[in-house]
Amino acid sequence: MSPQKILFSPVTRLSGLLSVELEIEHRLVTEANVSCTMFRGFEYIMRNHHVTDAVYLTQRICGICSSVHGAVASYLLDQLYDNDIEENAQYLRNIMMGADFLQNHIRHFYFFGLPDFVVMPNQPPFLSQNCYDCRFDEKDNRRLASHYLEAIKAGEKSHQILALFGGKAPHQHSFVHGGVAVAPTADKINQALALVRDIQDFVKRYLMPDTELIAKCYSDYFHIGETPGRFLSFGLFRFGSKNNQMLWQSGVLENGRLSDAHLGLIQEDISRAWFKRAAWLKSDEISPAPHKLEAYTWTKSVQYRGKHYEGGPLARMLINGFYEGGTSTMDRIVARSLETLLISELMEEWLHELQPGEPPIHQKKDLVHNQATAVTDAMRGPLLHSALVQDEKVEKYDIITPTVWNFSPKDEQNHRGPAESALVGTDIPSPELRNVILGRIIRSFDPCISCATH
Amino acid sequence: MEKADFGQLCRDNATADNHGLSANVLPITRRYLVDNNKEKLPVIWLETSDSGDNNIAFMNTTFPYLNQVFSDMIDLIYSNTFMAAQGNDALMLMDDTINRYHGRFTLVVEGAIPTKDGGIYNIIARTKNGPITALEAVRRLGAAAQYVVAIGTCASFGGASSAEPNITGSAGVGQVLKREVINVSGCPVNPDWFVGTLAHLLMYGKPELDDLNRPKLFYEFTIHRHCQRRSYFDKKDLAKKLGDIECMFSQGCSGPRTSSDCPYRQWINHVSWPVKVNTPCIGCTNRDFPDGSAPFFTPLPQKSKSEGTGHSEQIKPKKGEDT
Repeated sequence: MSPQKILFSPVTRLSGLLSVELEIEHRLVTEANVSCTMFRGFEYIMRNHHVTDAVYLTQRICGICSSVHGAVASYLLDQLYDNDIEENAQYLRNIMMGADFLQNHIRHFYFFGLPDFVVMPNQPPFLSQNCYDCRFDEKDNRRLASHYLEAIKAGEKSHQILALFGGKAPHQHSFVHGGVAVAPTADKINQALALVRDIQDFVKRYLMPDTELIAKCYSDYFHIGETPGRFLSFGLFRFGSKNNQMLWQSGVLENGRLSDAHLGLIQEDISRAWFKRAAWLKSDEISPAPHKLEAYTWTKSVQYRGKHYEGGPLARMLINGFYEGGTSTMDRIVARSLETLLISELMEEWLHELQPGEPPIHQKKDLVHNQATAVTDAMRGPLLHSALVQDEKVEKYDIITPTVWNFSPKDEQNHRGPAESALVGTDIPSPELRNVILGRIIRSFDPCISCATH
Repeated sequence: MEKADFGQLCRDNATADNHGLSANVLPITRRYLVDNNKEKLPVIWLETSDSGDNNIAFMNTTFPYLNQVFSDMIDLIYSNTFMAAQGNDALMLMDDTINRYHGRFTLVVEGAIPTKDGGIYNIIARTKNGPITALEAVRRLGAAAQYVVAIGTCASFGGASSAEPNITGSAGVGQVLKREVINVSGCPVNPDWFVGTLAHLLMYGKPELDDLNRPKLFYEFTIHRHCQRRSYFDKKDLAKKLGDIECMFSQGCSGPRTSSDCPYRQWINHVSWPVKVNTPCIGCTNRDFPDGSAPFFTPLPQKSKSEGTGHSEQIKPKKGEDT
């Protein structure tokens, strides 16, 4: 029997537009192509912009993780201008980023993930839910489904903290190069503390027990959607006057062995992406090629030392020793909830450390470098911005987002990226379970296709 | 309640203590539904080329909260973000809605529409019969919808997705459809503007629009007109840097040429807005955003690509009024 070709499209409940092409043979997934089907061209849009536009403009790459694009662009500009960052600014920056992480993780778990495991009310937006493998008894199911409503408020409160200091959300305004433009006043600190405590309460009363309940009921998912176990993190939550101290360490984890991450070992490959190299331009110049036959996605393939690596909460929790476990669908889900709890506690700590005072911002006026690369981890994994500048204008701007790592297409040698690896080998006991099982595996990476293709 | 009173309520709530489209609107909506035995608005929400920031902004709505919008105002039948259905089940829901609610559903489009190369730069789904481009989907759905609402600046005017060099040939929804599109611009939209527009459609039909097809309720006046720091501007007391408490005109503020009620309404449960955190407005509701606002931190007269002052309301202030 030749493999059956299947299209899973659209994969809903994620950010952006995703389709997956599959081959299934004797119940097993034997091939998977993850296909990100939108392209805007931000690396081209950034060119000729004044380099300080990067903080606001690159936030428009992503709606659900906007603040981290602003953050990494600010780190990049801090390098270019050689800014010194006040400690108070670092607390504020991390509080804003932390708030966006809480927003992202809470919404991912409940809005995107919950309908994979729990029977939702048969009304919009939950019509035609596939309930073939919803396993909870009526009481647990009702309880879990009702927490969707609690998550609506917790997600909104998370963004309220970001807006309180950042002016709005998504696409905050105050976290810019040189520090933060808002004054951390006692009333704002107190207001944010009240919001954080509410969110903490939500995380402890609902998110953590709900995660445990799902992990217990669907424990087979600790062995479904496993990846080769290569993890990468650029670290998270920077401190120090030069953004040089990292609260959560960066690193490369392979077969349980941790080593330092070196940015020089990162390479992108466009073999299966809709791009071509233009021979008549500079050698590293690429342009869109939407009709390229061997390609199937707008996401480039990115590798570290010639191999694909996975990023995200699981990578961070493993690399920092906060979690011990495997590389499965459920490990990714559990690690994300654990990270939500840790960040909600850190936020309270930082708000206590923050001192009321003037806006902690000192922007230097003259560029001291014309080239810089900045990194941080974002919600879904490693995020990199790199810029080449001429006369304060962007000549070249490169962006490698977390979902590029996780949803890398195959490279020239046909090596699969993390998401494709997780899908291949999956047992599909019956056709009606196909999208359910695959959807759970895919969403455990919390893909953001707007970011991946940018 | 009459249409004019509703408009007044929206304005009043913009300035009241717990302002926004506060709890006041919800009981009225409910009563209206009961009194008129009207269905909720059936909605198909199409995501095309944008960052998804507008659906996140929509999640941030307060009074009504998201669950209240779902239970009292709209039947969100198709939405890539929220729907439980996936794969072919999702597409069947879309087809079913077109048939069942032909001429009665509201199409919400989030994102610009790539037009170059047949629209291949945005595929909303792939099927056995080939890919469905955003261009194709928006034309098919747009022809069958009662209202078309463009949420965010990308859907309204092209926005960041059509910024130079616009290699995907992206445009706003109104530019690819031969019908009226209600634009609710912003990058992202303020949830009040969007939910308020839905409320108006539900209770009173189409709201009064400005010359860029935006509800006047939210976009009639410039940021500059209502800015808390207007007195600094009038005294030419300008900020020397970001973080200062004076007027942000010197720091690149686009407020004088940008229409929206941000200074009153503010963001995320109405706690703040960009000028309040000592940074400039970057004109994200404008037709020429982001190109016309760049460089973001350069004063307005030196911004190279601005298309005049935005729209006629601002070019020609009404008699006896300042801008």
